[in-house]
Amino acid sequence: MPREIITLQVGQCGNQIGMEFWKQLCLEHGISKDGILEDFATQGGDRKDVFFYQADDQHYIPRSLLIDLEPRVINGIQNSDYRNLYNHENIFVSDHGGGAGNNWASGYDQGQHVEEEIMDMIDREADGSDSLEGFVLCHSIAGGTGSGMGSYLLETLNDRYSKKLVQTYSVFPNQMETSDVVVQPYNSLLTLKRLTLNADCVVVLDNTALNRIAVERLHLSNPTFAQTNSLVSTVMSASTTTLRYPGYMNNDLVGLLASLIPTPRCHFLMTGYTPLTVERQANVIRKTTVLDVMRRLLQAKNIMVSSYARTKDASQAKYISILNIIQGEVDPTQVHESLQRIRERKLVNFIEWGPASIQVALSRKSPYVQTAHRVSGLMLASHTSIRHLFSRTLSQYEKLRKKQAFIDAYRKFPMFADNDLSEFDESRDIIESLVDEYKACESPDYIKWGMEDPNNMLTGEGNATGSLDPKSVA
Amino acid sequence: MEEEEDQQKLPDLVKELVHRLLSQNLPSNSPPINPKSPEFRNSLRYALRILSSRLTPSVAPDAAAIADSIKRRLATHARSSDALSFADLFSKFASKAQSVNNKWAVIYLLKIISEDRHKTASAAATTTSLLPNLAFSEPASNKGWSNGVLLVSKDPDNRRDVAFREFVNLVREENEVLEEVIVRDVLYACQGVDGSFVKFESESKRYVIPESVRVPRGIRSMVHNLCELGVLFRKVSGYISQSMDRFPNEDVGTVGQAFCSALQDEFSEYYKLLAVLEAQASNPIPLVSESASSGNYLSLRRLAVWLAEPLVKMRLMADLVEKCRVLRGGAMAGAIHLHAQHGDPLVHEFMRRLLQRVCSSLFEMVRRWVLEGELEDIFAEFFIVGQPVKAESLWREGYRLHDAMLPSFIPPSLAQRILRTGKSINFLRVCCEDRGWADAATEVITDNEVTARRGGFGYGETDTLEFLVDKAAKRIDKHLLDVIFKRYKFKEHCLAIKQYLLLGQGDFVQYLMDIVGPELSEPANTISSFKLSGLLETAIRASNAQYDDPEILDRLRVKMMPHESGDRGWDVFSLEYDARVPLDTVFTESVMARYLRIFNFLWKLKRVEHALTGAWKTMKPNCITSNSFTRLQHAVKMQLVSTLRRCQVLWVEINHFISNLQYYIMFEVLEISWSNFLAEMEVAKDLDDLLAAHEKYLHSIVEKSLLGDLSQSLYKSLLVIFDLILRFRSRADRLYEGIHELQSRITESSLSSRDQNKTRSQRQLNDKSAEQGSWIVDGRKALTQRAGEFLRNMEQDLDAIAKEYSSLQEEFISQLPVQQHVDLKFLFFRLDFNEFYGRFCPSM
Repeated sequence: MPREIITLQVGQCGNQIGMEFWKQLCLEHGISKDGILEDFATQGGDRKDVFFYQADDQHYIPRSLLIDLEPRVINGIQNSDYRNLYNHENIFVSDHGGGAGNNWASGYDQGQHVEEEIMDMIDREADGSDSLEGFVLCHSIAGGTGSGMGSYLLETLNDRYSKKLVQTYSVFPNQMETSDVVVQPYNSLLTLKRLTLNADCVVVLDNTALNRIAVERLHLSNPTFAQTNSLVSTVMSASTTTLRYPGYMNNDLVGLLASLIPTPRCHFLMTGYTPLTVERQANVIRKTTVLDVMRRLLQAKNIMVSSYARTKDASQAKYISILNIIQGEVDPTQVHESLQRIRERKLVNFIEWGPASIQVALSRKSPYVQTAHRVSGLMLASHTSIRHLFSRTLSQYEKLRKKQAFIDAYRKFPMFADNDLSEFDESRDIIESLVDEYKACESPDYIKWGMEDPNNMLTGEGNATGSLDPKSVA
Repeated sequence: MEEEEDQQKLPDLVKELVHRLLSQNLPSNSPPINPKSPEFRNSLRYALRILSSRLTPSVAPDAAAIADSIKRRLATHARSSDALSFADLFSKFASKAQSVNNKWAVIYLLKIISEDRHKTASAAATTTSLLPNLAFSEPASNKGWSNGVLLVSKDPDNRRDVAFREFVNLVREENEVLEEVIVRDVLYACQGVDGSFVKFESESKRYVIPESVRVPRGIRSMVHNLCELGVLFRKVSGYISQSMDRFPNEDVGTVGQAFCSALQDEFSEYYKLLAVLEAQASNPIPLVSESASSGNYLSLRRLAVWLAEPLVKMRLMADLVEKCRVLRGGAMAGAIHLHAQHGDPLVHEFMRRLLQRVCSSLFEMVRRWVLEGELEDIFAEFFIVGQPVKAESLWREGYRLHDAMLPSFIPPSLAQRILRTGKSINFLRVCCEDRGWADAATEVITDNEVTARRGGFGYGETDTLEFLVDKAAKRIDKHLLDVIFKRYKFKEHCLAIKQYLLLGQGDFVQYLMDIVGPELSEPANTISSFKLSGLLETAIRASNAQYDDPEILDRLRVKMMPHESGDRGWDVFSLEYDARVPLDTVFTESVMARYLRIFNFLWKLKRVEHALTGAWKTMKPNCITSNSFTRLQHAVKMQLVSTLRRCQVLWVEINHFISNLQYYIMFEVLEISWSNFLAEMEVAKDLDDLLAAHEKYLHSIVEKSLLGDLSQSLYKSLLVIFDLILRFRSRADRLYEGIHELQSRITESSLSSRDQNKTRSQRQLNDKSAEQGSWIVDGRKALTQRAGEFLRNMEQDLDAIAKEYSSLQEEFISQLPVQQHVDLKFLFFRLDFNEFYGRFCPSM
């Protein structure tokens, strides 16, 4: 009963970061590119069965579904060194292979059509688990497949596996450069609605910030996707260490997330990681103590969500929760000292409406991966400043929507047929209320928030069935 | 005729002698002595004058007196045995060499020569130094005295002699008994035998001359003083014979025996002296006037000189005997040792000799104990005592120091090391079934061949003993630790206990909680521990515990504590770890009982945590999609929002409390204690160190996790909080169950009202409403009403719980800062990290 977690990697971006993630896991567990346990990997102590299962010939297979509407990325995986790692039955590529054309509605619609096939795959994986804990979805919110089809999958999972956890690693688009996907704000908004309503936890991976970190921290002049993706895989693998190396606490996903997400709506997490390195890069090795790591994790420059979102109203912004996962050789006495120092210096600003503290999980480091640093740390945090990221999405959406730009591409699909754009409005309302709730969390009166004005809290007209039963809509 | 010849020869002989003496004195290059020269004639004349003179030494011509002075001299130069042998030789000389007339002169000459030799020894004197000085130029030689020789006229009619003779007559008249007799009596008394006049008076415990006998008071008191020796002798010999008689049956012990035999040896010296004295005593005591050369006699005064030294020894022995009468073994040796610290070298030397004898058996015991672990102590004299115990308590209770038997010359710290070394050997032999210790001991023996032999060291060589003990202890302890760590995997077992009993193996604990949980909710008396063992097995196989050493997993058991009526499984379930010999020396029953208490506490905490995450799962973010409730009445919607918020906020607070309590337990308690324990394990030099380190480890966990005596009230309030949290969980579950039901009702009703044609929904609706459907049947209004009522009730319940909780928690937190244990402040620090509580209660 290893509390299995099934990973769904959807779309181009989802599959790319997924692939990096599995590479990293294989390295950390001493599993070869073909899924065979390396001879040196005998030290044990790790739990491989959370993310892998063993085939009859003992080789390890990721509990992962590779889903895309166009074959390019998945073909790449199938031609890579790792082609034998995955279960080929778990790979889904749309028959026509035309992709979703960066259109959320197309992705969503195609998702509906292949639902049965994909759900069969998911069911099969779920049946193969002793005590399935939940799903992890890797996708981007800006494109077509990851956002649209991902959204559809979220709704379906929420419906069919309502007791299971659904966590997503959602890549937010780089807003510093002009995207070739002009309809990005539409796609983002529509996906955000599902992330708000149908996911239990969203780990926000902001491409803007990832790029910035690659440029500023890693001194890469023009970071490639592979490089930013390696940052993502570092974060993903680090955030699952406590599940893979059992200790006294935080041994399952629910235990990990419960304390991070005290208010159900505010389940968007920021991440920070230090010290960062990229392959082949000889970074200056710094002194890494627990205090150093914990202090650096609180610095804006190490956080993988755009800083513009956090400087705005920065003094008002508050941490709702923080979990630091510290890996490596750590003297447990240092933890308390570091916490004390952080509190003395008032380096962290917590909510005022309830008790909160920095939680620290110590985790083993993989013995098979050599790193230059003794200690590394990942921060998962719920911070109210993330609302600015959503506000920005909203304002970009409003701009496009005012001009009624590119709406036609959406009207082609049933959800928006007959010029029914209520889905947009509803999504906007939900995101607005989400932003409001985050804002309310900054005040000590959050407990009473929403009681006076019901419309702040419970929005949405028309689609009464909401997301609960999408099939009835169809 | 012959005499005539002699007469004639004499001048020639003298002439020849003078010639030789002078020629010896000459410088080497001077011409030979001319016998006609006036110098020669002068010298010859001087020599003749010396020879014909009536010169006598200033000392009385008494051979015995000179012998006495020689003896005294020898004795003062700490050569008492030489003195004795001299006395012996002298008595032989005096009695057997009849042909020698002037014996005293011979002895006197010898004495002068020996003194002369002493004086000039350093000057590396010329050969002449032995000879009378006849140098020509010596004017002093003509002065009529030389070398302290005084000219006294030897006139038989000397007035002094007349006076002496009168004095002797007076003395003879005054004394009824001759001094010789008294001397003999005193010698008898000194051997503990009554003489004809000197008798033992049992009342005063003294030898006295009865009042009826007329003796001068001086003699009487002298006899009294001399006979102290006899009294002491009686005491000592009485003790010896008493001990010897008792010996085989009663507990005199080897030390006592050695003591007796040492005393007897001293006695034989003493007897020798007495024998000599007795021989001397047979000579008549000359009166002052009588010929002084009559030699070797013993007067009371002389006796006093003779017996002075034996008296000192005898006093010591008597003293020792007195002190040791009731003592045995090491205690006896210790008591004797106390007397050895004496400034008088004579006493010191005597005591040292005695102690060497006395302690030899003790040291042999130490040697065997330290090198072989044998407790060879039939008479219970050793300072280590063993008692038969079970293997698990061998180390703690099997052997102990018997303080009374610890001689004071072995410091307690050394005694401890001695005890531990032998104990280690026995522990290895009995508990570890190890033979390797013998090799370690052999190594010690080969390294220290001299001292490790039987009788290789004795009293006074405490340094050697310490050295040997240290060597042996080091080897044996190292070997013991090796065995404990390598063969019996002490560290691995400690880790296993931490992983399983202290819940360090999180995945295992989680599965166990998952599968045992439902079972444990049953009443305690209906639970089969057999089934639980099966579940334990399952949990092991399902978690990473499966990769652990099977030998370790084999020791992990389910333990059901005795239950009372009304107990649930939760109250009686626990895990235990079977430590087995020899590790049960560390993990004794009481130690395991403490581990059990910690387990129970941690298990309760885990259960609460489990309940809280369970509650979170029911209220997790994607569970409630608020859209479903848009059709609800505004008031009900408000009610829903506020009830949900109430529930969430309460959950936040409780979860914060529990998870920080857990972080505290993990970081401040378990991990820190463990890392300290590991560090101490590394430096532990012997099993005692290891036991102490483990004890410290366990103690710190117990104390810090509120299980100590001082924090009982805290612990109790914590348990109350735990119960409340479990109640909260069931409330929250009911709330969400109700909301989900409401949600589906609304969905159905809206569906049915919206699309009557959907037959599937219709059928569903009909089924449901047929089953229980008062909610729907009464229509939307009733539904709303019931929902509002339900939510209101739930909120009231939650409010009550929240109120109770905050008062409990407040009570708990307010107790924290006043706790003795400093680490509990860390818990407070964690709980109030964002100063949430401090904000409301500034007093904290």
